[in-house]
Amino acid sequence: MRAFDFVSAESADQAISLLSEHGPNVIVLAGGTDILVDLKHAKHDPDVVVDITRAEDLKGIEVNDGGLRIGALVTHTQIMDDPYIRENFPALVHAAHTIGAVQTRNLGTLGGNLVTCVPSMDSGPALMALEAEVTVAGPDGTRRMGLEEFFVGPRKTVLEHNEVLLDVIIPRKNLGKPADFLKFGLRKGQALALVNAASALWVGEGNTFKDVKISLGAVAPTVIRAAAAEDFLEGREITPENMAEAGRLAVEDAKPIDDFRASASYRRDLIAVLTKRTLDNAYRLAQGG
Amino acid sequence: MTDDVKVADKTDSLTDLKETDEDLRLPSVVEPAHFPVETIDTEARHQTPAVGQRATRPDGRLHGLGQTKYIDDITFPNMLFAKMKRAGISSALIKSVDTSEAEAMPGVAAVLTGREIPVNSYGPSYQDQPVLADERVFHAGDPVAAVAAVTEQIAEEACERIKVEYEPLEPVYDPVEAMKDEIRVHPPHSNIYATKRIKKGDLEKGFAEADRIFEGVYSTQMIEHVPLEPHASIAQWDPNGRVTLWSSLGRITLGRADIARTLDMPINKIRIVGTIVGGNFGGKNEITTEPALALLSRKTGRPVKMVYTREEEFIASTTRHPFIMEYKTGVTNDGMITARKVRLVLDGGAYCSWSETTLGKACILSAGPYNIENLLAEAYCMYTNKTMTGAMRGFGAPQVCFAYESQMDEIAHKLGIDPLELRMKNAFHEGSASPTGQVLQSVVVKDSLEKAAERFGWKEDGQ
Amino acid sequence: MTDVTLTINGEERSASVPPETSLLRLLRDEFFLTGSKLGCDVGDCGACTVIVDGLPVNACLMLAGQVDGRDVVTIEGLATLEDLHPIQKAFEEFASLQCGFCGPGVIISAKGLLDRNPDPTKEEIKDALSGNLCRCTGYTKMIEAVQDAARILRGEKEAA
Repeated sequence: MRAFDFVSAESADQAISLLSEHGPNVIVLAGGTDILVDLKHAKHDPDVVVDITRAEDLKGIEVNDGGLRIGALVTHTQIMDDPYIRENFPALVHAAHTIGAVQTRNLGTLGGNLVTCVPSMDSGPALMALEAEVTVAGPDGTRRMGLEEFFVGPRKTVLEHNEVLLDVIIPRKNLGKPADFLKFGLRKGQALALVNAASALWVGEGNTFKDVKISLGAVAPTVIRAAAAEDFLEGREITPENMAEAGRLAVEDAKPIDDFRASASYRRDLIAVLTKRTLDNAYRLAQGG
Repeated sequence: MTDDVKVADKTDSLTDLKETDEDLRLPSVVEPAHFPVETIDTEARHQTPAVGQRATRPDGRLHGLGQTKYIDDITFPNMLFAKMKRAGISSALIKSVDTSEAEAMPGVAAVLTGREIPVNSYGPSYQDQPVLADERVFHAGDPVAAVAAVTEQIAEEACERIKVEYEPLEPVYDPVEAMKDEIRVHPPHSNIYATKRIKKGDLEKGFAEADRIFEGVYSTQMIEHVPLEPHASIAQWDPNGRVTLWSSLGRITLGRADIARTLDMPINKIRIVGTIVGGNFGGKNEITTEPALALLSRKTGRPVKMVYTREEEFIASTTRHPFIMEYKTGVTNDGMITARKVRLVLDGGAYCSWSETTLGKACILSAGPYNIENLLAEAYCMYTNKTMTGAMRGFGAPQVCFAYESQMDEIAHKLGIDPLELRMKNAFHEGSASPTGQVLQSVVVKDSLEKAAERFGWKEDGQ
Repeated sequence: MTDVTLTINGEERSASVPPETSLLRLLRDEFFLTGSKLGCDVGDCGACTVIVDGLPVNACLMLAGQVDGRDVVTIEGLATLEDLHPIQKAFEEFASLQCGFCGPGVIISAKGLLDRNPDPTKEEIKDALSGNLCRCTGYTKMIEAVQDAARILRGEKEAA
């Protein structure tokens, strides 16, 4: 690693002022599971690293008037262990469980996974399907936005150098909304997703799809929503055929690429299958099983 | 005076001493359990009491305590750390190497280039690999200079400041393309640097006897051993003109000869301390950085350590040969193999390493464990401008196994014969002759196949 | 330089290191605790696994400054002068380690698991060890050893 200075922030506010003071060639360090690797490979050459792992106000999981708030520094292990999330959002537990291995889940944070913004991130799809919003704080105050707006491109979010991600909020209307997340990697552990997908839905009158949201990862520059598939399903009867058709439509929403992990055509097949399965699993969950 | 000395005067007192000695031994090895009478009551068991017993390893305790000392766990006073500048270009002439900026850096003790190495070539069979590339680069992982500094970090930065001017040459990456010899990796030599041919029976007659002929091309990829412990060495040149090397090398005697050759020194001035190896799998069967570290130690008068990064393991250590394998097999309608023709092209990468051994073994085993009277197997090992390939578990046996067993499945499928039955029909039996004419004994292929099929329920699955 | 004071294996230790020093380098180079190994340096192999505030983590993925004031347990902290830790004993008895380079990391991961879950299923053990690569591929014996150590730690079996 190349030389840099290290400072530690005790709160989000202090982090913002340290970032402003030392910027713009500064970098925020949370779980470090990506940043340390980049620093070692000289992908980043910052003057100052601002460690935020001691900022207590960025931690914690709670349900409040706005919905479910997950602090940006909450680790993947903490998500997996949280009784409320386990009870109400098994999709988030699955998603957290597919990230890295125990050691990286103990270090890696939800906020870090979102901010690093790799297209194959496993935290993104389930949160996006649940219409999660994020709070971004900077020198001029805070702003709230959906994940679609937060993600800009591969490894790029709206965050400025002196801004930090405070928390992720699943809106109150979606508390307990049946959702499922699936990931297809080349191995069970320590693998990046070739494709990952999440679906969330309510069961409307006459056994129809209601407020169905589908999100896909590793198939476009950022995690995306499968709008065509969602539009098709809305109000339709919940049948295996309709789920399969949604899978086919989701392929149209995506722009998968060929790379050394998988070909685009293989990814297209995966999109169709995973979309269908997540819809099916979310529906089963809605039926109480 | 002698009265004070304890002298054993009786046989049983000697036994006492022995027992005391046993008691004093550290409990590093768990006492072997007693065998149940029923299981040891055979002659074979009396001869080999270890069979069927759980054995502990003598080094197991230290491993579990984290007290085993691998190279990177050893430090010496005043030790320096070395790093190597990698070419990053797969084929080029080296016009110049400018080390001045690196040498001027605080903390840098010495820089070494290829031209300073007495005999700048090594290798376990052909000496075709430079310790540090001097005239020419043969693959992107070639080192072009080495730096010894007070920290790894400084050595790494110094490497970045070494300026190398290249004249790029056209590389060749595809082993089949390389067979044309239009682009030569080591001119003036041919890219085909090793061949083997095995002939048995009459191939034409064999194919004439066949009802069906199957042809297929199979290929396997390059694989890195990924030992958890990366390659590591420490060199210490002493004032008597001798050098001691602590190395993760698996073959220290062979390595010593190779080091002596590169340093142009008598072998008795070189001492190698083989330490515990943290995974070898064939990847640590030859020297790598040792001669360069020895010379850096001579230049600085201090011990010098170098540990490969994980990336260097992939780009600068040997790997498993990718194979391209053409199989043509003649079979009768009832599934008896009458003839087989095999052609293997091994991607040898930039240097020979253990390619000859791999080529030989792959060729001998390429027909599979089957009685084939009419056989021709030929194999070629090619230079390409890629990371060199060498020894890895099996020396080419896994690659050919993938090809012939894939083809056996295809044959079984096309002939509508149970894949297990096809193999049973053709498999070696006691006294079968191998492709090279060796009469085989203790042949248990069929028994193993039957047992395995029974264990995993082959027949029940309706396969 | 970054000044750190932390608890390592129950003892308070201090050091002053360059800010870019990883926890792994701190342990190995400053405190000579070389049981934690550097295998990949990017969090893939698990050979550097240590326990920080009760949880197994990759020491190569933390900076020294991040562990100031925290509690670290390394492989050197498991055995006492009198006895091996039951996991170490089981790994020896089952011959679970071949070249041994991955061993300290695996044992620490197993401790991290058994500290939280004294009666894990085989699947849970596999999950807990999935961040530790063994290229000699002795996983089966490792899993058996973890099961055996769990039985001893639960008091269902006498230590050998």
